[in-house]
Amino acid sequence: MLKSIKGLVFGAASTLLLAGVAHADITVYTAGPQSLIDKLAEGFTAQSGIKVNVFQATTGKIMARIEAEAANPAVDVLISASWETATDFAKRGWLVSYTSPNAEKVPDFLKNETAVAQGVSALGIAWNTKSGTPKPAEWSDLAKPEFKDLVNIPDPAQSGSSFELTAALAGQDDFALFKSLKDNGAIIAGANAEALNPVLQGAKGAVFGAVDYITFGNKAKGESIDVVFPESGTVIAPRPVMILNWSKNQDEAKKFVDYMLSDEGQKLVAGTYLMPARSDIPADRPLISDLKLIDYDAAAIQGKRKEILQQISDIFGAN
Amino acid sequence: MSAKDIGGVAPAAWLALSGLVVVVAVPFAAIVLQAIFPELGAGSFARPFSLLSQTLGDVRLLRMTGNTVLLGLCVVIASALLAIPLGVARALYRIPLAPVWDVLLLVPFMIPPYIATLGWIMTLQPRGYMEQLFGFNLTPVLFSLFGMTLVMTFNTFPVVYFAVSRTVEAIGLRYSDVGRVFGATPARAFWRITLPLSAPGLAASLLLVFAAAIEEYGTPAALGRRAGFEVLVTGIDTRVGDWPIDLPGAATLSLVLVIMSLAAFLLQRWILTRRSYQTVGGKPQNAEKRELGRLTIPVMLMFGIVAFLSTGVPMLAILGTALSGTISGGLAFDNLTLRHFADVFGNSAGALGALTNSLTLGLATAVLTGLIGVVAAYVVVKTRIRGRALIDIMTVLPNALPGIVVAVGLILAWNMPGLPFTPYNTGFILLLAYCCILLPQTARYATAAFLQIGDNLEAAARVAGASGAVAFRRILLPLVFPSLASAMLLVFALASRELVASIVVAPVGMQTISTFIWRQFEQGSVGLGMAMAFVTIILTTLLPLLFLMLLRRGGLVRE
Repeated sequence: MLKSIKGLVFGAASTLLLAGVAHADITVYTAGPQSLIDKLAEGFTAQSGIKVNVFQATTGKIMARIEAEAANPAVDVLISASWETATDFAKRGWLVSYTSPNAEKVPDFLKNETAVAQGVSALGIAWNTKSGTPKPAEWSDLAKPEFKDLVNIPDPAQSGSSFELTAALAGQDDFALFKSLKDNGAIIAGANAEALNPVLQGAKGAVFGAVDYITFGNKAKGESIDVVFPESGTVIAPRPVMILNWSKNQDEAKKFVDYMLSDEGQKLVAGTYLMPARSDIPADRPLISDLKLIDYDAAAIQGKRKEILQQISDIFGAN
Repeated sequence: MSAKDIGGVAPAAWLALSGLVVVVAVPFAAIVLQAIFPELGAGSFARPFSLLSQTLGDVRLLRMTGNTVLLGLCVVIASALLAIPLGVARALYRIPLAPVWDVLLLVPFMIPPYIATLGWIMTLQPRGYMEQLFGFNLTPVLFSLFGMTLVMTFNTFPVVYFAVSRTVEAIGLRYSDVGRVFGATPARAFWRITLPLSAPGLAASLLLVFAAAIEEYGTPAALGRRAGFEVLVTGIDTRVGDWPIDLPGAATLSLVLVIMSLAAFLLQRWILTRRSYQTVGGKPQNAEKRELGRLTIPVMLMFGIVAFLSTGVPMLAILGTALSGTISGGLAFDNLTLRHFADVFGNSAGALGALTNSLTLGLATAVLTGLIGVVAAYVVVKTRIRGRALIDIMTVLPNALPGIVVAVGLILAWNMPGLPFTPYNTGFILLLAYCCILLPQTARYATAAFLQIGDNLEAAARVAGASGAVAFRRILLPLVFPSLASAMLLVFALASRELVASIVVAPVGMQTISTFIWRQFEQGSVGLGMAMAFVTIILTTLLPLLFLMLLRRGGLVRE
């Protein structure tokens, strides 16, 4: 008995050790889809011979890890789902200045000295086509009686992109739209996936401000769901790529950024229904040029983050 | 004569202590330091205590703490109400199909809470499975304290059921029969003799339920937020997951949780130290069980209903979703597909690697926590070594540490620059995290089991010439092994599906079952996630059962 326990422990130990031994040339933390980073890593390794080790989680969980690791950081390249982290990290002096030659076709508002977008998602209305509700065209349509008790709003406190949209729309009419949504029975429902799932099953009719690429992906799988981008405008969520200044593999990291912005890399991005950051890469979905964007001062909004979240939580009670 | 001060004890104490220091004390110290020194992550001890008062002075803290206690108590009471009648019936009467009920009541424990909650939501919400089948829904019930209590109780009551049925079975009818001889009614004999004697197992299991309830993340996050019911764990998660990260605040809130769990632990200890519970004083008796008689139908109904609600509903919801081509297609014949299962076994998105990783980790965790747990329990219960109270407390500390906080503590501790060796960024960091989170399971059950074993057994062995080590291995270990083995099997199941710590601390490039499922949900592939969940639940239920069967055949565990 004791012997077999010993055997088990050693067996388990050696398996774990081997899992740790695989040495990576660069380490990438990404808040993007696992399938995308897997393909990017594979393509990059095939092309350059440099290995890529990946940690994938939500932006929040990645930040917790980086914060806890701060004394002895491991990450070389960070792909966040929120541009705000790029601004914040730059302010802290954590980022390497680098402009990839492949970033030439990336529009100016999607890049700066220390960060460049890998892809872009936009926020829209995710609408269940079989829900028996009329196809919405505008944000305000979701405050109409046809959508009574049928609208989910992703929690702006949990989803960075939902916060941007909430703040931008609230700034236009001083929260009037959100008050009428509340009066119509709309609720704040967890992060993005939690808000979308009930709409897929039909418990709810629409998500107010869904991340579009996940919804497009579900549509492609045959779900009766569609994305509506209101004429009055929406916001986009660029996904910044950054190289951390503590990285000991900055040359390799730069090559990886180049690869992500290459034709091949950008086509992989488009394959996940994200908008490619480069304007010359086609995608099977509406692109930035097809969307009307709300004009708002992102920096000012971030400064008032606490206040805006408080207002929303006052309106919707609960949280 | 007592077996306390004879040789052979000191090495055991040292083994337990060093295991506990690595597994519990190191991450816990890091958390305490983080609460005090806000810039610890960056390796700086600047501005001590500067953020402590800010966190503790937050008005919401009182509400979150109150909600946490309330939820914990509700789940404990509901679990006791559900599990004690079933457990007692199972222990004292001959129940038709008893092994089948045991398996069915074991399954809910194998269902990851966040999956069970999602299953319940998809069943009860408007146009959910229940409405698709029967034309009505029960949404209002779900998103409330009542709904949370129900879902969490279905998940945790097996702990109490198995503890009660095993301890009451071990006590058997001998003692209450003595009471009957002296004129007690059956009810009186039960209330005055059987139930009090099974207190160690009952109290230990209720403590575990309380700790699990105040530490649980998935259900309060999915159901409680909508009901406006914020608990400490969701508050901690907001601090850790919401930029800018507030690690010191999260650490402080965790310490509040730890204090609550310790208070519950001290209460349990106080109950247990008031008298002796030794019922195993000689060679085992043959357990005689009574016939159910007129009670057959009501008892069978009780088992049936509880098994259906706790195992049937969530499992059917999981299977239904896993077999659906699309969610919006609903329960329709043309929407039926095996694609998601084919994807799991076709290693889509690394599913098989995740399974292997988690099962290996689960096994290693069960073995390690079993070893440390049994030695620590022995030292605490059967020796008079100074400092054994400290060992006892260390085995219960992690009870209240939320997974995410253990993860942060481990990173803080093991990622310091200049360490000659670090488990960080290898699979060992997950092993450490799981051992820390799950150690209380084995330690509590082993402690309860040791409390029921009379000192005379060990003493007799020593008198007959056995060394301390031999007496431990040949007399005590076999007697506690049934309890320990079932605790280790629970640890295996829990470790192979641990979510919150895994997400943060998993080494780069390594997936576990839970992070795999969670990623599928995040990216909108609910079907694939549910297929993986179904495979996992079946595996984590069948593997331990197979193992138990082998042990029985080998004569290591009595029937």
